[in-house]
Amino acid sequence: MRESRNPFRLRASEQIETDAMFIRLFEPTMLELLPQEGLWDRPQILRSAPGAGKTSLLRLFTPTALLNLHTLRTHDFGQALFQKLSTIGAVDENGPRLLGVLLSCARNYASLEDLDCDASRKIRLLYGLLNARILLATLRGAVTLKRLDYPAGLSRIELVPKSEQKSEEVANIPTNGKELHDWAMDLEATVCDAIDSFGPFETSSLPGHDTLISLLVLNERELHIDGTVVADRLLIMLDDAHKLTQRQREKLFPTILDLRPTNGFWIAERFEALTTNEMLSLGATQGRDFGAVTLLEQFWRQYPKRFEHLVLNIADRRAGAALDGEISTLAGCLGDSLEDSKGTAKHREILATIKDRVQQTAAGSNLFADWLTAPHLNEGTVREQAVAWRVLEILMQREIGNNQQAFDFSLSVNELEKKDGSDVRNAADLFISQEFKLPYYFGPSRLAALSSSNVEQFLRLAGDDFEELVAQALLKKEPLLTPERQHAILVKGAGSFWKDIPRRARNASEVLVFLDSIGRFCRWTTYLPNAPYSPGVNGIAISMADRERLLNGAKPRDAQYGKLADIVAACLAQNLLDATLNYKCKGVNWMVLYLNRLLCAHFGLPLGYGGFREKKLKDLATWLDPGFREPKKDEPLI
Amino acid sequence: MTGGIVLPPPRWENYILESGSSLVEFFRSHFSTARDVCFILGKGFDPRMCSGVEALIHIGGKGRRDVVLVEFDEGAASPSNAYQGFVDRNLKQLQGLVSEKAISSRSVRMFSDDGRRTTSRSAEGLFASSAEFKPYGDVVVDISSMPRGIYVPLIAKCLHLIDTSGRKDLNLHVIVSESPHLDRQIYDEGPDETADYIHPFRGGSDREGSGKQPRVWIPILGEGQVVQLKRLYDLVVPDEIAPLMPSPSLDPRRGDDLAYEYRELLFDQLRVEPRNIIYASERNPFEAYRQLRQTIGHYQLALAPLGGCLSVLSVISTKLLSVSALLVAYELKQARINIGIAHVESQGYRADESCLEMKNSQAVLFGMVLTGEYYA
Repeated sequence: MRESRNPFRLRASEQIETDAMFIRLFEPTMLELLPQEGLWDRPQILRSAPGAGKTSLLRLFTPTALLNLHTLRTHDFGQALFQKLSTIGAVDENGPRLLGVLLSCARNYASLEDLDCDASRKIRLLYGLLNARILLATLRGAVTLKRLDYPAGLSRIELVPKSEQKSEEVANIPTNGKELHDWAMDLEATVCDAIDSFGPFETSSLPGHDTLISLLVLNERELHIDGTVVADRLLIMLDDAHKLTQRQREKLFPTILDLRPTNGFWIAERFEALTTNEMLSLGATQGRDFGAVTLLEQFWRQYPKRFEHLVLNIADRRAGAALDGEISTLAGCLGDSLEDSKGTAKHREILATIKDRVQQTAAGSNLFADWLTAPHLNEGTVREQAVAWRVLEILMQREIGNNQQAFDFSLSVNELEKKDGSDVRNAADLFISQEFKLPYYFGPSRLAALSSSNVEQFLRLAGDDFEELVAQALLKKEPLLTPERQHAILVKGAGSFWKDIPRRARNASEVLVFLDSIGRFCRWTTYLPNAPYSPGVNGIAISMADRERLLNGAKPRDAQYGKLADIVAACLAQNLLDATLNYKCKGVNWMVLYLNRLLCAHFGLPLGYGGFREKKLKDLATWLDPGFREPKKDEPLI
Repeated sequence: MTGGIVLPPPRWENYILESGSSLVEFFRSHFSTARDVCFILGKGFDPRMCSGVEALIHIGGKGRRDVVLVEFDEGAASPSNAYQGFVDRNLKQLQGLVSEKAISSRSVRMFSDDGRRTTSRSAEGLFASSAEFKPYGDVVVDISSMPRGIYVPLIAKCLHLIDTSGRKDLNLHVIVSESPHLDRQIYDEGPDETADYIHPFRGGSDREGSGKQPRVWIPILGEGQVVQLKRLYDLVVPDEIAPLMPSPSLDPRRGDDLAYEYRELLFDQLRVEPRNIIYASERNPFEAYRQLRQTIGHYQLALAPLGGCLSVLSVISTKLLSVSALLVAYELKQARINIGIAHVESQGYRADESCLEMKNSQAVLFGMVLTGEYYA
């Protein structure tokens, strides 16, 4: 395969073929996701929507990635990563100290459930397959880590008991690497051949196990090659655990806990594996069953600046790895100011239009006489003046709508200055961009914000920007994207994201109707003339009590909300909505559901968090059918 | 380390493929003697559902004409449900062609109780033993209104049952009514979140024991399937990709259009070498079969020092070309060579209703015989 012209298109870890390139593109900030405690001796779970970077994180700990990192540790792009992994004990100057074994559950495990046999037999087959694969992958990993040939190197492996053997189940498991490998190969082949044959076939003769004896083997024995321990630590990583059936997950997870693995055991899965109730409880169950449950998107949402740092560094690594290598940084190529000469001319027209409109509104009344003469309205750049006048217009609308206003006394400039907060200014900025079709979604910070804490979403957007920059470089133009171009590219990306929803989500048509309702409601609320929720609304909230009703639906009157619960869960699973639990506001605890930031761009909404409106379940149920309908009165400005 | 794998001699080097009026002539000649026929077709809204059975009935001939109707419920959320009226119309037409007592039906279980796809395993189980074909001299599978996830395992199972029964006088026909125009008007909607292998063609791809072998993926391309192709890639994670383009084609620009449509995915994201692209006629599945075999053979030879390769086929193109993938996969599986067919199911199909009203004049009926007396 060829070198990549646009490395942003290599979204999934699997698309990055060589480990050297993988190390080059891996941004060390990702390691901040890992918990500080129990990393190597307690089971850990990583959960996220698709594209948050789980598989990349796991791949980093595989033997070939660590070996490559060790080789490249003195290069600019490898130093920080090497340092971080040294700190957590995965590698040191002598080489990898960790044997990481990565296994995907996206195999034929789920199809075991379709076999014509009883449930306990299916679980035995599941454990049998997992045992075979864990041991095969461990042996292969050990050979790779010691740079031996596979399978020739297997005969040099011995599994040496750490102390007196405790478990009867492992007594008959071979201790020589080659013999163990052959045993596991036979086991896997027998089960797989049966599964993949023309039916019907006899399942009773198929081999299986009552538990994960592979973990017992690795608990009680140590891997040696030529008499030396292979690695200080062993880490088993199960990726794509959401591919297991619900019953398999329910059996497997407690079994892992019961076996108390003395080695690291990480499980990565998508939210889609969770039931509706589990989805609606995200963030409330951390640490209950396992050492830690890391929710990737929620982690980054707590630290937006760190996420911005992460993705912009990822962008620079990708840009640097492009085929022609002419663009070394993405952020530096994204213009983030509207204050150029062309913009000034446009803002002069805007200023005149707004001034004119404000003066017409104020005419015939003494109420705003002093406000119109406020000095700051004529200070700063033309753009700043336009925003100031638009702020004034919003504040005038608020005063006009204030029913308690009884007298025609002129309001003081002091009062105006008190009301002129950053939230209103942000709303004015947004209103101007919408009304006069100015770019709003541009600049590195907004690009990062539009990613909604999801690395793949960022790569998708940044890749579109980079594509245009590559074209400019090809035409010998300065590689710089104007705010207008960035805005156009990002809004187009948001449109594609919206169109892609039916291909991503469960209950896609209802999900689309529901999100459309939220989006249109937020837009309607945001663009009310007095901007009552400045800088704008991009989320809704239900009380925690209502969330409980969604969770259990135990009372007959709540059954109607079952569908709503499923739709909200489907949105959360795909990162289309982002939930914050127990948000205190007005003396009540709320579950806030924010729109994915890219959907905010689709609906022309601001990107900050904090702007939401409280809703009742009965209202939300109508948003599924027939959908949100805009009230007739209080027509929005746009 | 094992050596490279040598492919078995091609079973369908010589073949029977007819279309349009030639097919009618072939059927007329073939059914001129008394023959009992088991005709298998899918129950769906496609206006071509009955065109095969209609052709057979019009030709006449003596013998039983039993029809097995394959039913499949895509679920309450399927967009196909909107066309129930067309399904009823097709059913009525079928009942006008053959007597009601000659029609039986079998159901494919599309989903398990916990919502997983079970389509291909269920379709493979539609016929459990060759005894079910005992009364017949001909089995005709009309795939015109069946999804790929059903007809691939169904045909494979029929072949398997006939092969293992040892009967040389039992003919297996596959017929399909092709209409590029109509195919463009009917498109799948709501593809599954992830791809999977069609049962029983997992091909060892998901075995840890074969983890070191390079994977070669041959997607057979068709229009409007970017999402499916991405999901297939995520499943297969190939080391080498050799896309098959339909060329020659009725529309001479079709190959170019496909290259344009998939350029970002194939060339930017997956970095496919343009020289890896292979070409096969869109209307001759046996030619595509030869090309696929040849490609797999080359890769097996080239990668022999690494112990050969795992080959995975995917079809996101016409039904005719799907048959070619099936033939290769079946033949190599019988020879115990690892080969998989990766596939993405969809929630259902959407169609322009005006095209469903259309008469079948633009469609051409293709027929092929896969096993039986002609190969004896």
